[in-house]
Amino acid sequence: MNAVELVRVSKTFKGCRAVDDLTLSVPAGSIYGFIGPNGSGKTTTLRMIMRIYYPDPGSGAIRVFDEEHSAAANHRIGYLPEERGLYKKMKVRDLLQFFLEIHGRREFKGPIRDWLKRLRLSEWADKKVEALSKGMSQRIQFIAAVIHAPDLLILDEPFSGLDPVSTEDLREAILERRRAGATVIFSTHDMAMAEKMCDFIFMIYKGGKVLDGTMESIQGQYGYDTLRVRVEGNGQSLGGLPGVDHVTDFGRLQELRMAPGADSQRVLETLMRKGRVAHFEVARPTLHDIFIRIARPEPAEAQSDTAVSRTR
Amino acid sequence: MTRKTIVIAVREFKAAIRTRTFFVSLIMMPIFMFGSIAVQMLLRDKVDVKDKHVAIVDCTGKLAESLLAEAQRRNTSDIFQGEGESRKQVRPRFVVTVEPPPAEATPEALRAQTLELSDRVRAGKLFAFFIVPPEVLDPAPKDAPSKAAVAYHSNNPTYDDVHNWLRGSISKMAHEQRLKSLNLDTGMVMKALTPVWVENLGLVTRDAAGNFQAAEKTNELASFFLPFGMLILMFMVVMITAQPLLQSVLEEKMQRIAEVLVACASPFEIMMGKLLGTVGVSLVIVTFYFAGALYALKYTGFGGLFPSHLIVWFIVFQCLAVLMYGSLFISVGAAVNDLKEAQNLITPMMLVIMIPFFLWVNVVKEPAASFSVIASLFPPATPMLMLVRMAVPPGIPLWQPILGMVLVLASTTACVFAAGRVFRIGLLSQGKAPKFSELIGWVIRG
Repeated sequence: MNAVELVRVSKTFKGCRAVDDLTLSVPAGSIYGFIGPNGSGKTTTLRMIMRIYYPDPGSGAIRVFDEEHSAAANHRIGYLPEERGLYKKMKVRDLLQFFLEIHGRREFKGPIRDWLKRLRLSEWADKKVEALSKGMSQRIQFIAAVIHAPDLLILDEPFSGLDPVSTEDLREAILERRRAGATVIFSTHDMAMAEKMCDFIFMIYKGGKVLDGTMESIQGQYGYDTLRVRVEGNGQSLGGLPGVDHVTDFGRLQELRMAPGADSQRVLETLMRKGRVAHFEVARPTLHDIFIRIARPEPAEAQSDTAVSRTR
Repeated sequence: MTRKTIVIAVREFKAAIRTRTFFVSLIMMPIFMFGSIAVQMLLRDKVDVKDKHVAIVDCTGKLAESLLAEAQRRNTSDIFQGEGESRKQVRPRFVVTVEPPPAEATPEALRAQTLELSDRVRAGKLFAFFIVPPEVLDPAPKDAPSKAAVAYHSNNPTYDDVHNWLRGSISKMAHEQRLKSLNLDTGMVMKALTPVWVENLGLVTRDAAGNFQAAEKTNELASFFLPFGMLILMFMVVMITAQPLLQSVLEEKMQRIAEVLVACASPFEIMMGKLLGTVGVSLVIVTFYFAGALYALKYTGFGGLFPSHLIVWFIVFQCLAVLMYGSLFISVGAAVNDLKEAQNLITPMMLVIMIPFFLWVNVVKEPAASFSVIASLFPPATPMLMLVRMAVPPGIPLWQPILGMVLVLASTTACVFAAGRVFRIGLLSQGKAPKFSELIGWVIRG
């Protein structure tokens, strides 16, 4: 069963197509990661699932828990928008109770106490929201989205701006919700987090779907075309190696993308002639690498960008 | 009404009445409205009681003496208040001196005298002077009345106590002199000229037992000021409660709370919840002010002036007023992106709210006229004008307030529905404000 299903959905804003003919199925109980460059249509897609935006008239349908465009499913969804906002003058406890009440829950004390404890905010329960730091209010906003134990969690960039400890707390909380049977959809720019957490990755670029599947299936499309190497005498350029299309320099480690049909052993031989090879690994591309391969501007686009910047 | 609407209404209610601003405006509003009256009452006795020196040039030769006597009478009785030890002077004495007219009444001589007296006023030796021409005693003046006018000269045109006293006294004395010259008995004529009193009464009725019930005296002042007082009270409550709705909706958009809310409830539920919360707040205020007003009326002995059925209707129409105007303010809040844009729309909105104030005098005079009926069935004016019409005896047919209520509720629902649609689409759009045509498109297409 699918928790969310989009069938040929489009959304246009004043002549600009933000989402174009998108079809997507999110299986119930999975964690689905939405990635894509800024302005590619992630948030618009999430807002359409939330019924904040309606798809273009005549375009496809969106079903949430098999219900087509009905507000009845809203109480089963927890939503953390990209742009956060809370009633600043309310006390944290009252605010969370308001969200529980609006979702029709009658038990307040237990969930509020448990969630504040879990995200280390117990001592702030009776403080006004305006007294909290940015990170704290972000955690409160997350609690507001999940406190009614929704079956579907839609989180728009939940980790942005959080310190590593808070990120860990949130990640653990999300996984715990999944263990309880909830479906999780979240958008992120943290590729490593998406790679580690998500059962499925969906990438949207210029309003259209460019990737959709498990990490393995996505990586499978690219094969073992990536070499991670460390050659002693760091800093020397590995550009222009025969059989290598692209080099990404991480400082201590360099990632080489092989040209189609190139032989990794040949590349190793060339490298050994350049210096002592301390690390050599034949790997599949990371999500980060795949993202960049898709979203990096085409050479022609890049050139025209440079030309524009020069004329300014 | 959905449960979510109630939850939102309760939150709005609590958020509004827990603020310091709420208590301040609750207390400040009546102070602004009635403060000036109270200050005037307090300062009524705080007047300058320094003697006012006034000169009279009596060209008739017959009035000066009587006027001196009248000033003397006033200075010994009219200017005091209280009895015995608490007796104190609350008005200035008028010290009148008689200046003889020039021996030869040539225009030059008269001008010279006027100039000399004016200089004395400028120098502060005199407060005012006046010249009584001989024509004032003419019993059958042929010329225009202005020819026979007493010329009153002063450097304080706004201080009218001397002027008023003079007008009253000189008129009375001139009447007496004119009658005397016609050989008529002053006392008899004055009696004959007593004005006829017309008593303003309601209608006579029969009670349940068939007994004749005499008509009640109409209190003209009360039947005029009672509707006005209710109008002001209703306006005050609308200003305290409905106007902040605009800010509240705008704040939710600006602080990005709206997106979370829209994910939990439909825009209609959110808007309606906010509106109902505000109606709750208005009921608290009305109870507070009403209790105060009724106590004040009872304390001053005017308790009977307020018919009890009007209290119920007042509360009903107060709720309708908050719903009607609140839904208008909510629509504005939903349509704009910041307070500056809101300001541009508030002015036309205030004009709509002020309509009852432009019309109420005519409506009070003729509550049953078709103009009044139509005006009071125009939804933005209904709550105030319908109540005004009900407050004037004998009242209006019941179908009219009921039809008014239905129309107000229908327009409120339409406004809230439109505001909800604009809110949902407008809350995430940033940048320049939508054009009016775009707003209409949002409302129609959703």
